[in-house]
Amino acid sequence: MNNLCTDIGYHSINKHGEQLCGDHIEVVERTDGSPVMVLADGLGSGVKANILSTLTAKIISTMMANHMSLEDCVTTVASTLPVCEKRGIAYSTFTIIQVVDNKTAEVIQYDNPHVILLRNGINCDYDKISMQIGEKNIYRSKIELSPGDVLVAMSDGAVYAGVGRTLNFGWQRENIIEFLEAVYESGYSSKTISTILLDQCSQLYGGLPGDDTTIAAVKIRNRQPINLMIGPPSDPQDLHKMLTLFFSKEGKHIVCGGTTSTLAAQFLGKDMITSIDYPDPEIPPISKVEGIDLVTEGVITINQVLQYAMSYLEDNAYYIKWSSKKDGASLITKLLFEEATDINFYVGRAINPAHQNPKLPINFSIKMRLVDQLADCLRKVGKRINVSYF
Amino acid sequence: MNIYICVGSSCHIKGSYDIIQLMKEAVETHQLEDKVNLSAAFCLGHCTDGVTVKIDEDLICGVSKDTFSDFFDNYVLARLS
Repeated sequence: MNNLCTDIGYHSINKHGEQLCGDHIEVVERTDGSPVMVLADGLGSGVKANILSTLTAKIISTMMANHMSLEDCVTTVASTLPVCEKRGIAYSTFTIIQVVDNKTAEVIQYDNPHVILLRNGINCDYDKISMQIGEKNIYRSKIELSPGDVLVAMSDGAVYAGVGRTLNFGWQRENIIEFLEAVYESGYSSKTISTILLDQCSQLYGGLPGDDTTIAAVKIRNRQPINLMIGPPSDPQDLHKMLTLFFSKEGKHIVCGGTTSTLAAQFLGKDMITSIDYPDPEIPPISKVEGIDLVTEGVITINQVLQYAMSYLEDNAYYIKWSSKKDGASLITKLLFEEATDINFYVGRAINPAHQNPKLPINFSIKMRLVDQLADCLRKVGKRINVSYF
Repeated sequence: MNIYICVGSSCHIKGSYDIIQLMKEAVETHQLEDKVNLSAAFCLGHCTDGVTVKIDEDLICGVSKDTFSDFFDNYVLARLS
């Protein structure tokens, strides 16, 4: 084991007028814990393409996860895919990225635009070995990775973006590389990188994509723990234990809730400095306590974080909002989704008597549910989550 | 004079933001910047039907947009004069 982790983020947009996407991404974990990502692009668009790409991605990822050879995977796909009546072929392109030990990537590419490797934000060429399986010409690479390396895979919808609309010939792989180098920032998560690139493609298409477009990014990064505490313990006698455990943990510390942060400030023997600045009128202002990285209000802030989290799992539409804003909810979202790889939640189950008013839309069960849902969202994007209740 | 406006969850929902904006405007209109110290406070334990405001050591509960001007006259201006 090393102190690294592999962060995989992806997103697709559908061809204009189609309800189904003809691209499909499948991420599975092998028994040794190493992830395998398959991006497949089915022939044509709509239902047919969707079936082809889903079958391809599922078959390859399942077989690869079970340590079967690439030859077997490709032959199985070729003999399983239904043949297109119109074109007389069964066809789906694919890109496979498998990362072993967070250190070595095996990249297998068939007819998709070639994967881009960014090292410290700069494009880096890598060797490809061409091999023939059946009638397919497949490129295979083994890449030694370092922390900060990003692999960007895409379907051909990305390079066709803008054809005949904003650009004569679409933008080529070289243009995509220039764009990625220009926007790259080391703190970006792979979901953010794929969102930014996909947004650019969508813009070149004038919002009416001429093809299904998918971007997937795979990033190697150092593990980064973050600790979040919300709510005082149900038994006040556990307060000291809870705070001691929380503050002894490595990584940044976030404290949510007025009462909780007052208690934490007392524990640290520091003053709490409140503020009346509202970067977002919907979210109560943050405070400052020396020794705590972020102090926010509780249930309203976390509720907003959950909204951002759910959008992050979907189209990440609020990214522009939370990535630049300085309100409590945006700051927490940025820390949890972009910076953290491991998150420890310390959830106190004390009931705030002031909130048990039927006229209020906040109460104890809502608070507990918010934390559970947020933890679920974070698990779905591959974060390691640990929740302790007090 | 120290004025603390509660920005706890419950008061926030009932309009802390509006009260803070009104308070800032009122302090400016009456040119009280030198006399009044405006800050936020977390839950003061009196979640009622409006925002809780603490003026020095006194708690005033249930301040809303509608009652703000009365509140400001009675508690802030009256005490300062």
